[in-house]
Amino acid sequence: MSPVLGIAGYVLREALSRKFILAFIVGITLVLTVVALSLRIEVVDGALAASRLFGEELRTSIRSVDVALRPVYRAAAFLVFYGGILFGIVACSDFAPSLMSPGRIEHLLALPVQRWQLLTGTFLGVMTLALGGTLYGTTGLVLIFGVKAGYWTAGPFIAGLLACVGFAAVYAVMLTTATLVRSAALCAAAGFVFLVGGVIAGYRQKLMPFFEEGIGRNAFSAVTLVLPRLSALAMAGGDIAASAPLEVRSLGLLLLGVLVFGFGALALGFWRFDGKDY
Amino acid sequence: MSASSRNRPPPGSSTFATVNSQAPAIEVRGLRKTYHRAFRKGGSEALRGMDLTVPHGSAFGLIGPNGAGKTTFIKSILGIVQPTEGTVRVLGGTPEDPRIRARIGYLPERLHLPGTWTAPAFLATVARLKGLPADRAMPQRLLERVGLGDAVGRRIGGYSKGMRQRLGLAAALVGEPALLVLDEPTDGIDPMGRMEVRRILQEEVQRGTTLFLNSHLLAETERVCDRVAILAGGRVVREGRLEDLARGGARWLVRFAPGASAEALAEAGFHRGGAEGQYHVEAEDPAALNVALDRARAAGALMVELRRDGADLESVLMGTVEAAA
Repeated sequence: MSPVLGIAGYVLREALSRKFILAFIVGITLVLTVVALSLRIEVVDGALAASRLFGEELRTSIRSVDVALRPVYRAAAFLVFYGGILFGIVACSDFAPSLMSPGRIEHLLALPVQRWQLLTGTFLGVMTLALGGTLYGTTGLVLIFGVKAGYWTAGPFIAGLLACVGFAAVYAVMLTTATLVRSAALCAAAGFVFLVGGVIAGYRQKLMPFFEEGIGRNAFSAVTLVLPRLSALAMAGGDIAASAPLEVRSLGLLLLGVLVFGFGALALGFWRFDGKDY
Repeated sequence: MSASSRNRPPPGSSTFATVNSQAPAIEVRGLRKTYHRAFRKGGSEALRGMDLTVPHGSAFGLIGPNGAGKTTFIKSILGIVQPTEGTVRVLGGTPEDPRIRARIGYLPERLHLPGTWTAPAFLATVARLKGLPADRAMPQRLLERVGLGDAVGRRIGGYSKGMRQRLGLAAALVGEPALLVLDEPTDGIDPMGRMEVRRILQEEVQRGTTLFLNSHLLAETERVCDRVAILAGGRVVREGRLEDLARGGARWLVRFAPGASAEALAEAGFHRGGAEGQYHVEAEDPAALNVALDRARAAGALMVELRRDGADLESVLMGTVEAAA
């Protein structure tokens, strides 16, 4: 077995033994089960005729199913994006500091595992966890609405994948922070700061006029230029989930920017970790 | 497993490091390590030009006062700490080589174990990371060997300190390593457990494994190791075979049965010792010793005990460190 996969398995086993991650999976399952059992949708000739939640009729005008479900899928995409990243920041903040804790890192580094493999495996393990959770939630949602309304779409899956890309960039920062300081709190703080920064960076053009011309605006422009535009990615995810036209000019460039930022942060972490004494 | 088979790389490795069975297990030349801290000038020197050779197949003990650099040295030979200067060769290669590290078993001083795992799961993960082929019986076998056969189903978080230490030893033994590096292996283990650990270490040495032991329990080092190095101030100040280090020169301790004439024994070259019937005698070689004993017997003294009047390891350590200071 590749040492990278071995470390990823180590991280996943560690994750699955944590109660709050199990509670999260149980929570998603419960939400999906409640929605599945309490929501009734009546579709006539592809149009949403009536819908009931917990027996109460939801008053909506008669619309085609795909149009009626747009706000639901859009809201779900935002929930998965921001909720997922926030949960990921909290839940995964101590994986890397824990692996690098005194007494454990010495043992791992004495095994035939190279340092880059240790970091790559940790990153891969956390991303597997994020991807698994996202796919579990979005698959459940698509299945429930697909079965009940007869409307099938891959939009929520793609939106979930975009959320994972966003989380990858944030976790890259958290992993790099762990190579500098073995603190779960600081890793979480770094992740949270970059999430907020990424949200601001997505609205940089709209926020720019609020800064006076000169040093202030230039500094804001320079800082937000290098940050991943996470809010723009969330918007794109919402549009895709709702099968609406994309507001961003180029999703490809947006993804490229987020990935370049993530790889850059990881490269810094790899360089720091490789030269560090434990 | 024979000594020669220990030199083979572990199964599962695709490429193997070249190993010379005659090469020392550990060879360190001019090793220096200076820890630099941010915003501080200079740094603290943990190792100051250390030279050491650990012969293949030996049981080697590293002793020294706190802050002597023992843990830094151990981390250097495992590639956990990168030396500032000097060369480190382990099992004929560099510690950075994963193929070399696959043949080393290491027990850190304070091993942090995943509390929610079971011991077999932990050992299986260590085996996987060592690139060993799957062996379902291995964890049980190793756990029984270190005396944890009854705790297989329990989570590690519920283990006592001694049990964790035993598990750490089992993890170090995964893959039958050619070199065992143990940092305080009996820390927290009860006296009976220490005897078991000692037995396991002696079995490993008999099978050809090189043992490198760092323990503050000098009696432990004395019982297990055949060679010892004393580290002080980041340098090896004394190194050699245990019996040579502890040897008290040409001085012997003899105990005679009650009734021996003190005057006659004094004439034969024996000086009265502290206890009843105990005497010391200087003899450069066995012939001189037997001449002195023949004189004592001729004077009617009956010998009941004879041993070299050597110092224990604690005295050797104290004397060496004080002299080096």
